[in-house]
Amino acid sequence: MAEISFPLPDLGEGLLEATVLEWLVKVGDQVERNQPFVEVETTKSSVELPSPIAGIVLTLHGEPGDVVLVDTPLITFAVADDSAGIVGTVPQEAAPKRRVRLSAVLDED
Amino acid sequence: MSDVLERIQETPLLQLSMQQAINRALGEILEADDRALIFGEDVGVLGGVFRVTDGLQQRFGANRVFDTPLAESGILGTAIGLAMAGFHPIPEVQFDGFAYPAVNQIITQLARMNYRSRGTLPMPVTLRVPSFGGIRAPEHHGESLESLFAHVPGLKVVSPANPQQAYHLLKHAASMPDPVIFMEPKARYWNKAGVDLTENSASLEGAVIARPGTHATLIAWGGMVSRCLQVAELAAEDGIELEVLDLRWLKPIDEAQLAASVSRTRRAIVVHEGPRTIGLGAEVAALVSQSCFDTLRAPVERVTGFDVPYPSGDLEDEYIPNIDRILFGVQRVLEYRRG
Repeated sequence: MAEISFPLPDLGEGLLEATVLEWLVKVGDQVERNQPFVEVETTKSSVELPSPIAGIVLTLHGEPGDVVLVDTPLITFAVADDSAGIVGTVPQEAAPKRRVRLSAVLDED
Repeated sequence: MSDVLERIQETPLLQLSMQQAINRALGEILEADDRALIFGEDVGVLGGVFRVTDGLQQRFGANRVFDTPLAESGILGTAIGLAMAGFHPIPEVQFDGFAYPAVNQIITQLARMNYRSRGTLPMPVTLRVPSFGGIRAPEHHGESLESLFAHVPGLKVVSPANPQQAYHLLKHAASMPDPVIFMEPKARYWNKAGVDLTENSASLEGAVIARPGTHATLIAWGGMVSRCLQVAELAAEDGIELEVLDLRWLKPIDEAQLAASVSRTRRAIVVHEGPRTIGLGAEVAALVSQSCFDTLRAPVERVTGFDVPYPSGDLEDEYIPNIDRILFGVQRVLEYRRG
């Protein structure tokens, strides 16, 4: 297993921080990609943040009411070593299948 | 013999995925060369979208491994300036299709700065580009740019086929004084294989025979090498022994190895993911025709992607040469008769 942390992104134009309103997941939960995992409030609005990856929640960096700075860790996931990363999916290694058979009379001159 | 076996047993090969092998190579490059720098989109804090640069910023600090704005032209412009100042940049363009905004910098500056400056401003830049398709990703994430870059004088282009090659070829590329486009077959990032860390650099030039055979040569690179090895395995069931030649270096192409292999087998099929027209397969076919004209028993066959934009994930398996399409290509070459 590997750990991946995500920092709080800048949710507006040059915002510096956000307040955690509510965690929508808890430590140990399996989270899917794009699943909302937290609601935070900035000076502009409150928003739910979608998870950029699938993984198991290891650490929530802050309690409801805590202020988290932009670019500091917000959540840490445990992901399988062979997980895809952020884009795409891991190709499945299947036994090679064929329909075409080779037939050749090879003239060995 | 027995002590050789013992030694082999004592030092089992490291089992690494290509992603881990590249990560290890990058760490060793930064360790050994304090002028080496890694930068690109999400390579720092996040450790790369495929975690290829995982942990490197923590190890080497944010001055040597750093995130850039989402502006590929800027990434390459930065690399060129840093190289002029004596650094050894290893930038990443996050995906093949994101290299297009950087093509101007790559072609008009990076590739010709050494030439333009009469050798006073070499460009020891290794540009890592996760390349080719096969991971069900959206548009701009599955393209094959080898023929575009191979066409540009001043660039070298290389694509590893397995973790062992990825580890050594990357270290080799980073040690070169010239700009190298390092095309990582992203569909192979997760496949583990044994990596021998002690290969000598002489064996990293040119092509390699991935599987010897006698009846025809399959020529491939990057992610298509493993598929051609599968095809060779299946062809053997039919009594056909296919040689698989892994070009590795796409610029310059190892013409001598190419000619030697096809001279033996007398038949050639070149396989690549990119579109057929002006694909690298055309260059390979021309080289083979020139060097092996008298011995060839059939025209060189090309099994390639189609002349359409790279499709969405649902159609990927139809676009990328699959086992049956490659076998058809082999069959056409085998049954060809002159006159």
